[in-house]
Amino acid sequence: MNPLAERVLERCQRLGSEDAEVYLSRGTEFTVRVYKGAIESLVSAESRGIGLRTFREHRVGFSYTSETDSDALDGLVDDALLNGRYNHADEANVLPVTQPADPLAGLASPALSRVEPQRKIDFALEMERRATSLDPRVRRVSDAVYSDGTGEVEIVNSRGLQASFARTVAYGVLETIAEQDSEMQSGFAFTHGRDMEELDLAGVVQEAVANAAGLLGARPVATATVPVVLHPHAAAMILGVLANSFSADAVIKRRSLLAGKLSEQVAAGIVTITDDARLPEGLASRPFDGEGVPSRSNELITDGVLKSYLHNTYTAARTNGQSTGSAVRSYKSVPEVGVSNLVLKPGELTREGLLARVDNGLHVSQLTGLNTVNPVSGEFSLGLTGHWIEHGQLTTPVKELTVAGNVIALLKKVVAVASDLRFIFAGGFCGSPTVLIEELPVGGL
Amino acid sequence: MPLLEPSLVDGVIKRALRSGADFVELFVERKRNQSISVEESKVQRVSSGTDLGAGLRIIHQGTVSYVYTEDLSEGGLLKTADLAAQVGRHGGGRFAFGELTGAPRPPQPIEVPPHTVGPEAKIELLLEADQAAREVSGAIKQVAVGYGHSAQEVLVATSEGIHHSDSRTRVRLMIHAVAERNGEIQTAMEAPGMQRGFEFFDDTSAAEYARTAAERAVSLLDAAPSPAGQMAVIVGNEFGGVLFHEACGHGLEADFVGKGSTVFTGKIGQPVASPIVTAIDDGTLPSRWGTLAVDDEGVPTRRNVLIEDGVLLSYMYDRLRAGQQNHAVTGNGRRQSYQHLPIPRMTNTFIAAGAHSVEDIIAATPRGLYAKKLGAGQVDVTTGDFVFAVTEGYLVEGGKIGRSVRGATIVGNGPRALHKIDMIANDLKLAPGTCGKEGQGVPVSVGQPTIRISELTVGGTGVATAGTMRP
Repeated sequence: MNPLAERVLERCQRLGSEDAEVYLSRGTEFTVRVYKGAIESLVSAESRGIGLRTFREHRVGFSYTSETDSDALDGLVDDALLNGRYNHADEANVLPVTQPADPLAGLASPALSRVEPQRKIDFALEMERRATSLDPRVRRVSDAVYSDGTGEVEIVNSRGLQASFARTVAYGVLETIAEQDSEMQSGFAFTHGRDMEELDLAGVVQEAVANAAGLLGARPVATATVPVVLHPHAAAMILGVLANSFSADAVIKRRSLLAGKLSEQVAAGIVTITDDARLPEGLASRPFDGEGVPSRSNELITDGVLKSYLHNTYTAARTNGQSTGSAVRSYKSVPEVGVSNLVLKPGELTREGLLARVDNGLHVSQLTGLNTVNPVSGEFSLGLTGHWIEHGQLTTPVKELTVAGNVIALLKKVVAVASDLRFIFAGGFCGSPTVLIEELPVGGL
Repeated sequence: MPLLEPSLVDGVIKRALRSGADFVELFVERKRNQSISVEESKVQRVSSGTDLGAGLRIIHQGTVSYVYTEDLSEGGLLKTADLAAQVGRHGGGRFAFGELTGAPRPPQPIEVPPHTVGPEAKIELLLEADQAAREVSGAIKQVAVGYGHSAQEVLVATSEGIHHSDSRTRVRLMIHAVAERNGEIQTAMEAPGMQRGFEFFDDTSAAEYARTAAERAVSLLDAAPSPAGQMAVIVGNEFGGVLFHEACGHGLEADFVGKGSTVFTGKIGQPVASPIVTAIDDGTLPSRWGTLAVDDEGVPTRRNVLIEDGVLLSYMYDRLRAGQQNHAVTGNGRRQSYQHLPIPRMTNTFIAAGAHSVEDIIAATPRGLYAKKLGAGQVDVTTGDFVFAVTEGYLVEGGKIGRSVRGATIVGNGPRALHKIDMIANDLKLAPGTCGKEGQGVPVSVGQPTIRISELTVGGTGVATAGTMRP
């Protein structure tokens, strides 16, 4: 057993804790940011921390520390037990039944730690160099970053659980500036994978340049009611907003717009949404959750009907249900309920085929103000940036448009989903294809 | 007890300098946190934790390298210094760094350190607040209240021989009320906080804030959908300052300016706002959320006038950008923790008070939206385009406050909006918040008096046709 965990659990037991759980995390980070052909900054580090939950008479105590000397570990136990004394007793406060989790291959790339730092620096420099030589209107890059990290999680509890896994992630981020006359537009793009080798250098450059240049000349247009096409990233951002509403904790506390809607039609029949913590390409994949419960795929909305909420051990016990393996946490927090890889199921249609259905409409590439969406009522009023669609083709760039409505109403208006699934980090790792929404009133001049 | 023995601090810096670095800085931090939450009228969570670590920054021919660790033993720190020296060998530019001048000011005075107060007293005030919110109306269906404090000690030592420290204790209350009637749900929140000890609660009534949040949630149930379209917008004081912070403040941070990625680049001495606008970033204000004795690079904070009578006077600098742009330091080098490099950040940023009363401004507005409280927002720093939610809004018609509206957002462009500020009231107030940038959250204050922007786009679910609305 991990000697730190052993020491902590032993003290917990000695001081009268009936159950206890130690969550250890260790990580490394490498980040290089370049500017004008030189390194602007470089970060390289290792970090670690321990979180402890104690259970006594159905009261949970929690504390965490980044120190690992013996005084700090003793203090960790004492603090958790003291904190627990004040919490209300709730029979749903239990450790999960220990179950072995099937291993999940390929989460960590062993090759990543062997990549020479210079190659990572060169990746960032090359992103910047190429981004400034693709389009005469894009001559500057405001941010070019390569970053990678490894994360190791180990959970040890008094019910015999000893489980660990490691995960790696690498990504490149690029932000360009396009200029024409006195106008400036920025364009953002990123590429991610489990290893540097999985990153798409040419793709991220092309996209960041096109995103900035494509918005030059953007102008407001008149208010209209038109079909709206959401770029996969924009649609995935909306999934990210919806994510918390699947949490049973949010449902119990009446902070979910999906509360009380199980088995109801909450979206158009074409909409199927899954949270799959074992998705091979999912960067949030993991063999078990933040309490050691084996991960699985959870179908949340099937053909528009709400099938399930997400549970951790506490919310499952409170509602007489089963944990869905959805406890998310860091060592600094107790297990909350959250999504892993949240996916809107793609359809058969190509993106072009979907656009071809629109004679006159709006293609949205950026939604602004998503953090203003009311998570309880689902009401939103967002800013839109994108392009007008004429006969299936993107034409004039447009900006400063607004759209107001309700997330549920929006889900019910989805009329087509394409096959071009793409992922972003938006709370969880959220993936969506291009989505067509039937007519929406879009506010402009 | 010092965070780290001075001899060890010097030893680590000397070790890192062996690589031939131009500059070495050691940042050591200890942060102790406690949080308590009450939900469903029960104590749900009493949590505490300690973050302790150090970050070592070295600059080698203009290139910045950073290494951090939680291992503060002599062996651990010296190993980190060696790693920093090795990582830092990629340099190839010119070293320029803003000179650290001025004596450090004392930390904010704390009468009752919050960790010396037991959980009982904190729980009592949370339960009082919970009850106060629920008593406002039967429509209040859920209340969540929370208490949190953090005590952060920092030490900044550099190869110039500077050893500066600061101690920052913050206490905060969070109240979230949910009102529900006939299936309709509205929420409201209040989150007062100061850089003070537990004495904060001697003159801050948790119950009063709870009632305020609950009353607002209930009143939103009766609010009509906001109209949409172009109109005059009166933005309320206090947290309304988030609009300036996001849509203009970030554009005045020297890292963005140095890359020419903000519209304010090269505009020093030029009019960038209506002549009635003066905006200030002041890291010295007593007890405020963003106040620092020294910033996270050891630079004593100061009062920086950013915009005076509409003319741009200064950007906000960290030491690196001050050196690169040949400007004096301003005390704006900040970082979330020892795991982060310092970057230019705001402290307490606000628009200065004007001459009008709020009543004058409303009376002078034939038609518009009174956005009394703003919520979350989002901004594109390059263009200054912004979107903000209005969490408490009223129609203004014929110079009078009309009915309450919900679901409004205001959409516009920061630099353009600055020119359209045509009235400023005398009711300046500040509010605490956490500002995010490059993945780093730091505590700041935003603030302003009530202001009027002559024209902005309002997004809402209602329809803009004059005087009539449909749900």
